[in-house]
Amino acid sequence: MPTLTYLQAISAALRDELRADPNVILMGEDIGVFGGAFKVTDGFVDEFGTDRVMDTPLAESGIIGTAIGAAVVGMRPVCEMQFSDFISCGFDQLVNVAGKMHYRQGLAVPITVRLPSGGGFSGGPFHSQNPEAWFMHSPGIKVVAPSTAADAKGLLHAAIRDPNPVCYMEHKHLYRRVKDEVPSGVFETPFSARVAQPGSDLVVIAYGAMVPMALEAVSDGLDGASVEVLDLRSLVPLDEEAILDSVERCSKVVIVDEANATCAAGAQVAALIAEKGFESLDGPVVRVAAPDVPIPFSPPLEAAVLPGVDRLREACRELLAY
Amino acid sequence: MVDVTMPQMGVSVAEGTIVAWRVEVGDRIEADATIAEISTDKIDTEVPAPASGVVAEILVPVEATVEVGTVLARIATGAGASPPQSLDGEPAGPARAETPSPSPSPSRAPAPSRSGNGHRRYSPVVQRIAAEHGIDLAQVSGTGRGGRVRKHDVLAFVESAPVEEPPLHIESPYRPDPVAPVVDGGGLSRMRRQIGEHMKRSLDTAATCTTWIEVDMSRVELARKRLGVTALAYVSRATVDAIREHPALNAWLEGEKYTRVTDVNLGIAVSLGEDGLIVPVIARAHELSVEGLAARIKDVAKRARARELTPDDVQGGTFTITAPGQYGSIMATPIINQPQVAILDFEAVVKRPVVVTDAEGNDSIAIRSMTILGLSWDHRALDGALSAQFLATIKRLLESV
Repeated sequence: MPTLTYLQAISAALRDELRADPNVILMGEDIGVFGGAFKVTDGFVDEFGTDRVMDTPLAESGIIGTAIGAAVVGMRPVCEMQFSDFISCGFDQLVNVAGKMHYRQGLAVPITVRLPSGGGFSGGPFHSQNPEAWFMHSPGIKVVAPSTAADAKGLLHAAIRDPNPVCYMEHKHLYRRVKDEVPSGVFETPFSARVAQPGSDLVVIAYGAMVPMALEAVSDGLDGASVEVLDLRSLVPLDEEAILDSVERCSKVVIVDEANATCAAGAQVAALIAEKGFESLDGPVVRVAAPDVPIPFSPPLEAAVLPGVDRLREACRELLAY
Repeated sequence: MVDVTMPQMGVSVAEGTIVAWRVEVGDRIEADATIAEISTDKIDTEVPAPASGVVAEILVPVEATVEVGTVLARIATGAGASPPQSLDGEPAGPARAETPSPSPSPSRAPAPSRSGNGHRRYSPVVQRIAAEHGIDLAQVSGTGRGGRVRKHDVLAFVESAPVEEPPLHIESPYRPDPVAPVVDGGGLSRMRRQIGEHMKRSLDTAATCTTWIEVDMSRVELARKRLGVTALAYVSRATVDAIREHPALNAWLEGEKYTRVTDVNLGIAVSLGEDGLIVPVIARAHELSVEGLAARIKDVAKRARARELTPDDVQGGTFTITAPGQYGSIMATPIINQPQVAILDFEAVVKRPVVVTDAEGNDSIAIRSMTILGLSWDHRALDGALSAQFLATIKRLLESV
């Protein structure tokens, strides 16, 4: 099995899909000749041409709107938002048109919107956000967030082949830092959770970049405790069965979001546990998330805002001692 | 400084009597420990210390009776607690050796689970485990914050519980010989027997003939994809319309009694896998649009597979459609569902080269989505010409969708 970075895995999935299905097209700002802001589509235009790897104007609403039109007549467009933050300009097309098309007209909208998200590189408030919860709150849209290179590839294949609009949250911090073995060829990773590390005393529930952070935080066993790490992978649909199974076995739960705390994905997980996992709990459901502030430019301020290893370890220790 | 007061022991109790003091001035006392014994006209009880600290003053002597709320004693708490003074102004003896230490540093943990009267709170999982094992949680010592009983504590308690004596009976070492690896299918299920009897009776009763017709489904394929429904819904609608033109096929023949039915109650054969099949009936199918039929077909199929059909759902059928084409088969000779007089078989839609003729009469070969519709009909009730006309009508309707 080849070892790929998270970014190479995304590129590989896109290339495989373009080769496998003539209906797959890519659209985005500077993804063609320039190869993408993060070079995900570097060289694509040479192999697939400008009709299938389209440089678009700086207009997210136009990108997504065009993709929807193409999708309802049978194409499978993959849109790149240069930074996930810019999705707000395409919000209406995604939430009101794509998300509700099937409900209103019975038509499938098989579009994938790639959202390079997350902070940790002093990108400041317009280039560091994690907007996944916006789309969790809007019916008709699936939301996935890989944390490994293998899942980055498998989830992207599954997203492109899914008949629904899918927001694919790809974390910029993981692009070149995460590297693992990726099966070659096309394979679809199911939209379900994965136990990244089994344990029995406490479970840390995370997704995206918070998964490797959590694995690092609990790598020394936290004073001998057996800590599980559950990687959600998919936020919509949310794998209730896997979450409740971990809660039942571990009875203590810490939920990590890199996103701002209020109404984040973790808040939904916490609500689920309170409602359906109550009888398994042996302590309060603890959340670690970014405070409700914009992401600062300043490196020390950004480090203070984003959840990190120290904060997570502290939260786990407190809960383990409870 | 915290006051110890005469507690309210009940709504009707207004006063209480000191029976004994358990402490002297200068003694250190922990919160909740008994500081005094009291008596009312109803009960004798103990007064717990409201806080940890050093007894600074005792204000009410033994045997004295005072009103509820009267201050009985005072406890000096915290770092400020200094050795109390006895009446002669000298520091009290016992306290001198033991300088009051500051109370334990405040914990950052959630509030301790122990409240004033010794009641403990337990987490949901601890209560559940205790209930499952019949454990009195008061017997379990806690290792969590403030002595809280954690899941680990109650699990350890369960494990440490005395193991029950093994039974005197010793299991026989005899084991039966392993059974040869054949699958014992047993007798036929009730459903299989019923299907068998019904089908055999139909073949024994009816003069069954089968007629086929080839239909170009290209327009249906386009339309159904646009609508997001199955081709079966279109075939059902066309069948209903064809029955309107040829009502003789919508009938029951029982013995020599032939009954033509006005409503089209359309039976749809649904496979239940290995168990068999069932034919739920869509009553008054002629009133439904293609979308409506699609929704009803989906609904009855789902309920059939979930074994949720009611007797009403399978009664009163006037015409049946069977559609096993999902596996690619293209023709069949279905058996008539008695007492109906015909059954339509809809198999796979496959792309084939066919000769098409344009408006000017020019022939060419085109790739079209084709299917073969089969109609098994009862020669006692009708003749081949009518069955062919019926099929031709369905073909015309499907090709002009």
